[in-house]
Amino acid sequence: MRHPAESVIALYAGGDLGFLEKLRVGHHLRGCSRCRSEVSRHRAASELLRAEASELPAGLNWDRLAAEMTGNIRVGLAAGECVGELKSSRTHGFAWKPVAAICALSLVVTSAWWLNFPVEQRETLVHNVSRIWNRTPAHLPADRVFLEANRAGIQVKENGSAFTMMHPDATPTVISVSTQGTIGARYIADTGQVTITNVYGQ
Amino acid sequence: MSTVSKFGWVSGVLALGAGLAMGQSSDVHGSLKIDFPTDGPVTVMMPMTTDWGQSKVAARGGAMILDLHTTLTLRNSSQRRIRGVTLLVLAQDVTPGGKGSVSVPSLDIPPGETFPIRIDLRLLRPVQGAESLPVQVSLDGVLFEDLSFFGPNRLNSRRSMTVWELEAQRDRRYFKQVLERAGNDGLQKEVLSSMGRLSDRAQPGVQIVRGRATNFDSERELQFAFLEFPDSPVVPIDGIARIAGNEARAPRLEIRNRSAKSVRSLEIGWLVQDQLGREFLAGSVPAELNLAPGQKSQVLQDTALRFPDQTGIKGMTAFISNVEFSDGHYWIPTRSEISADRLQHVLAPSPEEQRLVQIYRKKGIKALVDELKKF
Repeated sequence: MRHPAESVIALYAGGDLGFLEKLRVGHHLRGCSRCRSEVSRHRAASELLRAEASELPAGLNWDRLAAEMTGNIRVGLAAGECVGELKSSRTHGFAWKPVAAICALSLVVTSAWWLNFPVEQRETLVHNVSRIWNRTPAHLPADRVFLEANRAGIQVKENGSAFTMMHPDATPTVISVSTQGTIGARYIADTGQVTITNVYGQ
Repeated sequence: MSTVSKFGWVSGVLALGAGLAMGQSSDVHGSLKIDFPTDGPVTVMMPMTTDWGQSKVAARGGAMILDLHTTLTLRNSSQRRIRGVTLLVLAQDVTPGGKGSVSVPSLDIPPGETFPIRIDLRLLRPVQGAESLPVQVSLDGVLFEDLSFFGPNRLNSRRSMTVWELEAQRDRRYFKQVLERAGNDGLQKEVLSSMGRLSDRAQPGVQIVRGRATNFDSERELQFAFLEFPDSPVVPIDGIARIAGNEARAPRLEIRNRSAKSVRSLEIGWLVQDQLGREFLAGSVPAELNLAPGQKSQVLQDTALRFPDQTGIKGMTAFISNVEFSDGHYWIPTRSEISADRLQHVLAPSPEEQRLVQIYRKKGIKALVDELKKF
């Protein structure tokens, strides 16, 4: 079991914890007799201090006491500045987590988007990006291939759009090409029926 | 952070990522429009018999995708036997002028019978402005047993279906002759040989590209060699194409009509030999022309073919693969002409030869013999 820090116990005993932290420590105390006794000890000490404070000696110089306290606080702040590295590392630790989370989220979304991006559009995108990167003149056609047979079927494509006559379950037995701008695929079913598909370019 | 809450975070982030990327799927049925003539020889069975399978419309990445998988059941409403059907598939909102077709040759459908035609297609377009991806399927043509034709013929399917049917008649006749001459064993040997040729046939991936090559290979002209069939009505005389690296473009062929009839159209087969001496069918060069007897003409196409990387084009051969005369008759090479050693390993078998081989493969020699006896 992990116990709350001594300072947290002290703040709890004095009723100075925030709402959520107070609930968390209270939940812990219900099952931890050791911490409960610590709280009781702090409360008893606090009571004792309050009783003694009511019997302060007469003629106490409150202004001097306030000045000493202010001086002590300043010394504490200066000491904090001296351990600036610790402060700095804590700041970095705090910022790193959301940055890493955003990077991971971006990676997941980009990967999912890229994997689901249709192949035809992916090719066009890659081609155009490489054209911009290489500063290739814009008058060259984006993709010279406009009719082809690929794994999915026979295809005519134009500016990222595509029309594919898909291979059915069977593999084509014959692929034919006509220089008039036609590509065809022939299939044969188990029944013996022959089917010939064609796509036509403009 | 506990393991459970970490897992929850990761799951949430993944779901968010996938959700952002995948988008929404929607109903595909509204995308397909079937447009058949009501008084045509082929009608779509109503209610439409379709198996939508994995069909879907979905936004994916930066695009809208339609996957359409369906089977139309058609009925022969005419009084003649159907030998072939071609359907036109239009999706011009997706690719300008983009169209496709589905043809079923080598049919033998008697009047009143039904038969299926499967359509599998994918349309993709950028999401911008894509509210729907309409596809229209219509009839382009029907070929009957007497080689008569019905349909708008927008894809010139009359010509291709007639050539397939003539090849089918030629190949059935050839297999019947083998059966008569050498019996079942001889036929079986012939079919096995056909299967072997198909599996040995080189079929490199060829792409059609636009314009000139932008690589650093200098362009050169390469002369065509010719394969001449003795009874071909048209002969190639001269021809060149421009070669740059693994691309060949702008084939220009000179031909002469040596028959006594005018020629309306023809198709030239284009063979390519690579640096290792392997030969394959690169494509065909079709031409519409009006060539009177004895006349010469040029066939010129401004298309470029791209072969796989590392393909060095060392030689090219052309041959006339079919001719359509102005009177509606056709010429195709004989079985012995295409069985010449050089062509046998590069030409694809006819659709009918493949159908007959498939019958043997699935049902055996007796079923093949029975099939041949039907014709």
